[in-house]
Amino acid sequence: MITGPSGCGKSTLCRAIGGFIPEMIPASIEGEIRVGGCSVRETDSAQIAQQVGYIQQDPDAQICTLRVEREIAFGPENLCLPIEEVRARVDECLSAVGIEHLRERETTDLSGGEKQRLAIASILAMQPKVLLLDEPTANLDPDGARSLFELLRRLREERGVTLVVVEHRIRPLLEMEPRVLVLDRGRLVRRHARERIDARDLGMRIDDETRRPTGERLVRIERLAFGYGEPLFQDLTLDLCREEILGVIGPNGGGKTTLLRLIAGLETPDAGRIERPAAGGIGFVFQHPHHQIFERTVTGELRIDSPETSPGEFERWLAAGRLNGLGGVPPLSLSLGEQRRLTLLTALRRRPVLLLLDEPFIGQDRRNVEWIVSTIRAHCAGGGGVVLVSHDVALVEALADRVLYLGEEPRFGKAVDVFGRLRDEGRTAFLPDFWGDAE
Amino acid sequence: MIGHVGRAYAGLRGATPAANLLLLGVLVGVVLSSGSLAVRAGALGVVLLLAGWSGVPIRTFLRSLRFVLVFAAVLLVAQALSIQEGKPLIEGFPRITDVGLLAGAGMALRFLVILASSFLFVSVVDPDRLAGALIRWGIPYRYGYLLILSLRFVPFFRRELRIVREAQRVRGLRPSVRSLKGIRRAIRYTFVPVLVSGLMRVDSIALSMKGRCFGLYRRRTAPRPERLRAADGIALGFVALLVALAVLAARGGWT
Repeated sequence: MITGPSGCGKSTLCRAIGGFIPEMIPASIEGEIRVGGCSVRETDSAQIAQQVGYIQQDPDAQICTLRVEREIAFGPENLCLPIEEVRARVDECLSAVGIEHLRERETTDLSGGEKQRLAIASILAMQPKVLLLDEPTANLDPDGARSLFELLRRLREERGVTLVVVEHRIRPLLEMEPRVLVLDRGRLVRRHARERIDARDLGMRIDDETRRPTGERLVRIERLAFGYGEPLFQDLTLDLCREEILGVIGPNGGGKTTLLRLIAGLETPDAGRIERPAAGGIGFVFQHPHHQIFERTVTGELRIDSPETSPGEFERWLAAGRLNGLGGVPPLSLSLGEQRRLTLLTALRRRPVLLLLDEPFIGQDRRNVEWIVSTIRAHCAGGGGVVLVSHDVALVEALADRVLYLGEEPRFGKAVDVFGRLRDEGRTAFLPDFWGDAE
Repeated sequence: MIGHVGRAYAGLRGATPAANLLLLGVLVGVVLSSGSLAVRAGALGVVLLLAGWSGVPIRTFLRSLRFVLVFAAVLLVAQALSIQEGKPLIEGFPRITDVGLLAGAGMALRFLVILASSFLFVSVVDPDRLAGALIRWGIPYRYGYLLILSLRFVPFFRRELRIVREAQRVRGLRPSVRSLKGIRRAIRYTFVPVLVSGLMRVDSIALSMKGRCFGLYRRRTAPRPERLRAADGIALGFVALLVALAVLAARGGWT
């Protein structure tokens, strides 16, 4: 397992092991990586791919074909295997990851979890000895992440596959007794022997603070009904007060992002009504930051919302968002974690009273998570409200005054009550103690 | 094929890509070669019939072609107004003659059949199966996959464009298109994020393909040839019908 702060080189290391650097991504390299006795630098990445399978962070971005069966057959067909062998591998891999029922489905129709399984199946079909997984749970709900970890454990035990996993959610992986490498600024700073690992060595804890929402209502959702063909919400009623943080959790496809879109006025309810602040009073940070970046420089991006601000003020803002010295840099050249913090800063520049945050912690290391947490709390202390969508249940528990679980049957209430009910229902993957400390 | 799960083998979807390609070629060939209005109208009828049989509701089919329909109507009106030879049907201004109206209708129908049959082809033919067929016919597999990848990007770009517009709305950005500067800004604020998304996606997919040995060998395993189904027979029946209609029209001097 490889872990470490954002931008420390975890993904770069994976790509170097896979032989994509410097062949496809130009870079200067010192030292040597050997896979199966061959130097990566002197071997074509397609040759290395027969031994090392690389699964990228976003499974959707690595699907090449339009049908599940064809996607799995893609690799073996490139190896010119006989068609009977290709078919046998497709059947075997569909069954190994438990998606036999999806064989005929179009890849565009799959959920995030299904796409992740398909990505793994399509790599397994190459029969690699090593599997590189770059934050494989980043886009998965806790249930999906748990079953992925179970699948990885099975692959290691039954097929002897070597796993290299870049991951922030540490505790479930620790049960597999991995070797843990901690990187920082491109260097190996810690190496944990299997028997000495403790989640607390690597995790963080958010101090519990007593918050006292004022009770003045900011958002009121009444008997909301909405769906894309199939109903997502029926008769959903809830509210959000000033100085309150509402945490929203639930499985992929449960409607978490859709709820934010409804509150922001980007969707129209099928029934029911939503009272919300005026459009200028809402700041919305999307899950994928590049959709919200328009200007050529980081400072230019901040200037859109406040053209009169002095350069010194911008620098102060950037320093607050841990983006020091990046004012003149093209924003799209920043790491995803930095882009996400920039979009949070731009949302805050408009001084919204309501902040809608969709998975703001993805790709953030411990110090950046702390900054986002303190920003959320400062916003609430200033009289604002926050709706926070996150798969990181431990952080949601630490931060939220009330929690909305959007599953087959929505649950809404104080965090302790909602998690209590989820515990009673046996939904352990949605409980904070399953994942350990935050991060 | 995108967005029509569950009707995987309905109508023409069950036919092989070769049969569908032949049908498309004959439809286009017939309306280009035949001067008969009746043949062109018949060809349009065949396209609508086949769309319904293939599980594409006629209303949805026509809605998807609404811009084509509008353009066909413009062609009809422009031809009817510009050709003044023949027997007048409406005197004064505008003056419409039978020759002008027939020429306009013929051009509009030709345009409609070509576009509608192409749209039907794209709707019913699975790009994966088409690429497989192309590879079996000896076309280098890299070109076959170009087709699949371009189709893979159609829904992606549509979705990205919608999200970027929403991001502008959320941020209160309404780039004006009344000045050159405004237009440049609108282009930058809309197309640059979409383009960046596209390039990021291309990078990831290229890496994913390379990571699964795409291009390692000059050849790759071609999917097994598809067996013929009843749908192929029906498609070939329509091919024969269209050719017969065109021949009869040419011999009988149909208008």
